[in-house]
Amino acid sequence: MGSEKTDEELMLAYAGGDLLAFELLYRRHRGMLYRFLLRTLRHRADADELFQDTWSRLVAARERYRPEAKFTTWLLQIAHNLIVDRYRRQRPQASEAETDAVFRELDAGEAERPDRVLSEFEERRRLQLALEDLPEEQRVAFLLRVESGLGLEEIAAVTNAGRETVKSRLRYALARIRARLAT
Amino acid sequence: MNPNDRDLDDLLGDGGGRFGNLYRRLPRYEPPRRLDRAVLGEASRAVRNGKPPRRQRWIVGIGSAAGLVLAAGIAWRIGHEPMATDAGADRVRVVPVQPITESPRARHDDEPSRETPATAPQSAGASPPPSPDAIGQRSDADTVRRARKPLPGKPAPRPVSTPQPKAASAASESAPPPAVAPEAFPQPLDAEAEAGKSENATRPAASAPAAKSARSGAAASDRLHRAAPPTPPSSSVELQRDMQLSPEDWLSRIRELVRQDRRQQAIESLRLFVRAHPDRPVPADLQPLLD
Repeated sequence: MGSEKTDEELMLAYAGGDLLAFELLYRRHRGMLYRFLLRTLRHRADADELFQDTWSRLVAARERYRPEAKFTTWLLQIAHNLIVDRYRRQRPQASEAETDAVFRELDAGEAERPDRVLSEFEERRRLQLALEDLPEEQRVAFLLRVESGLGLEEIAAVTNAGRETVKSRLRYALARIRARLAT
Repeated sequence: MNPNDRDLDDLLGDGGGRFGNLYRRLPRYEPPRRLDRAVLGEASRAVRNGKPPRRQRWIVGIGSAAGLVLAAGIAWRIGHEPMATDAGADRVRVVPVQPITESPRARHDDEPSRETPATAPQSAGASPPPSPDAIGQRSDADTVRRARKPLPGKPAPRPVSTPQPKAASAASESAPPPAVAPEAFPQPLDAEAEAGKSENATRPAASAPAAKSARSGAAASDRLHRAAPPTPPSSSVELQRDMQLSPEDWLSRIRELVRQDRRQQAIESLRLFVRAHPDRPVPADLQPLLD
């Protein structure tokens, strides 16, 4: 009965003191959020820490939640802000120009050759490596799409970027992944 | 179409395209149990310890207001209880006294002690003297409080006491207040005595019947204080009622007590009558009670 409620209804119920609503909400999104964080941050310890921080922020801000905002967008915005903070503290980020240079070096035609077809296992391994190598913004955009199922507008809202910017980041990310699979 | 654009369109489509499918075949990691426990525990604590929802705050507010109203009502009730007690004397049934055994010294010795709390601050100059109205209110409240519980250091009034020898009465001059608590003395006696004293002080030449009766009441009260032979205790309420009767009715009441075989009560009431109305002769049929 409670599981038929939308995320937004459950969040409002929890803000009103319904702990069961929170548990349902948590069960729905815990895996998605954890994988998003783990593949974005690449280190389990960091993912664990930010996973807990994300839910803590959500709990603390429960009374400020408004159903006009889609719950998953709000949840991933919190997570994304924490990721950005973490990256700012940890290391400098590659600029767009640097990623463009890498992208231009890729030989897309080479990757299309039949003798380059890989086993499924090898493909998955290379995809993981490609994800790890992606610049943060491209990786986040790609993961928000494939892991969280967000559209362009929602990714733009989460990452606080324009729609075309998101589209460009996704395009670059796909080019890099394809190149990685081809090597 | 550029392969990048084609892949992007596929990715944004329902199936996620080639890369979407490939991604879904990656291991699906789940958060460890300890994280589940930590998050759910924190959510639970936040609900329990956090600010209550608005509707609960309403309940708390209403409950507090109701408690205040109840407390105010009880305080008001306590403040007005003396008047109710005076109005319905039959509700006061268990105030045992020895109205006519108290020695005058004991009575007068006790008065300063009752006055002390009111006068001490004046002498110390700590606060201005309270207004007469305030004093009256306070003494009313004190009377009720003292009638309800014995004062510390004083023995509680006994429902039944034996006649006190004169030695005990004399000892009470230097000793703490006697066993008879002054607060338990019939209130009309005090009131009459006080009224009589004030009447005598302010209107020494009064000759009206009212003044005369007031003087006689004061005299009777004074004599009650000065010469108090030991008598068995009785219910102050009944004696109080007797004193409120007219002399004829009072005598009839004493005869009624004799008929009811309540001789001791009749004796006490008659002795009180003699002191209250010294100028009235005791009827012959009641004379044996005084012997």
